[in-house]
Amino acid sequence: MSLIDESFELREIQRLEGHTDRVWSLAWKPATGIGGVPAVLASCSGDKTVRIWEQSRLTGSFECKAVLEETHTRTVRSCAWSPSGKLLATGSFDATTAIWDKVGDDYECVSTLEGHENEVKSVSWNASGSLLATCGRDKSVWIWEVLPGNEFECVSVLQGHTQDVKMVQWHPSMDILCSCSYDNTIKVWAEDGDSDDWHCVQTINESSDGHSSTVWALSFNSSGDKMVTCSDDLTIKIWGADIMKMQSGDGIAPWKHICTLSGYHDRTIFSAHWSREGIIASGAADDAIRLFVPGEND
Amino acid sequence: LHKLVHIMDSFQLNSNSDSIKDIFDSSLNLEETHYKEGYTEGYNDGLSSGKDEGRQVGLKTGFQVGEELGFYRGCIDIWNSAIRVDPTCFSSRVQKSIKQMDELVEKYPKLEPENESVTNIMDSLRLKFRAICATMNVKLEYDGYPKPSDVKDIM
Repeated sequence: MSLIDESFELREIQRLEGHTDRVWSLAWKPATGIGGVPAVLASCSGDKTVRIWEQSRLTGSFECKAVLEETHTRTVRSCAWSPSGKLLATGSFDATTAIWDKVGDDYECVSTLEGHENEVKSVSWNASGSLLATCGRDKSVWIWEVLPGNEFECVSVLQGHTQDVKMVQWHPSMDILCSCSYDNTIKVWAEDGDSDDWHCVQTINESSDGHSSTVWALSFNSSGDKMVTCSDDLTIKIWGADIMKMQSGDGIAPWKHICTLSGYHDRTIFSAHWSREGIIASGAADDAIRLFVPGEND
Repeated sequence: LHKLVHIMDSFQLNSNSDSIKDIFDSSLNLEETHYKEGYTEGYNDGLSSGKDEGRQVGLKTGFQVGEELGFYRGCIDIWNSAIRVDPTCFSSRVQKSIKQMDELVEKYPKLEPENESVTNIMDSLRLKFRAICATMNVKLEYDGYPKPSDVKDIM
């Protein structure tokens, strides 16, 4: 039974209120929402706070369990849980990235990563939770290593994008990092051996079937052999790479354009995400959320 | 008179249409002569003012580069001293980066401003410096020193 045979319906089950400014990003806490563990969600906002919401076992509705405030001095733009769910990273326009740990019922800021010259736009943990990537308006991508005792060391500062870097995402199984930017390109970064020597191994620009305007988001499918990107150019693009080749240590296989989805949104597409089940969701400035499933031939 | 006779002699020696051209050549070439004179004057003027400007730009750039390199040299020296006192004060990653910075500062072609690698080396130095400072969680900048461009403001 393929997804295309199913019919999908998006139904609003609850509206969470509490933030006093726009909500920029959300993140589901890993290992919650299954096995009897109530689902937990983090949201970050222009009101400089992060809220943690938990689904009540009794009523099934989400309640605000914690407000992470008085740390960031400007909009919190991005939040991401470490793969184990132990730590929450929050990136802010105040140029810092805060790391939060749950202590009892509350969350404490256990570390503050400074280095970006201005607004941090995105944070992402690698699959093993050993590395954290951040990116920002200063056009740079930073890679940090997590050490015992919630210590963080800067592994590398990557320059290459010529404009604001909107998002960074780690590959779901390999330590390969992708970034997308206001400079219309998508960059792939990898480490040379084990030497902390990270560099750009591929740049996807307009001439390689890439986007013709700001690329706002990127997301990998669960198997990591495909990724989806969305842009101000009103298209969603799907890319594929020979993962087998990469995993067998045969170098970095380049990402190739598979297809372009256009005509579905008539305003900037700000968000795209590939679910574990293979559904791609996109959200755009036309106030629409669209769901895409792979057809017979694509 | 002597010169006139000389000219008359050469006139008689080359008694064909070419010799008539010779006499008029110097007046026809007036334009070219003046062009050449003007060009030479302008060239020499440009050469000396260009040298002056070049000297000023060189001084300014040299100062800025020297100041930045010197700042990194100072930081590296202090860090190395700290490591000598306590080899565990910095992580192995930070120590490796400090060593790499040291090599870069030494390898910077100070006496070859036209060497292509100057931008790359300086860029690498700046990135490594930012990464080390971020890990140490310190803010180190050398903007306590007035740059040549700031000097006007102070005055």
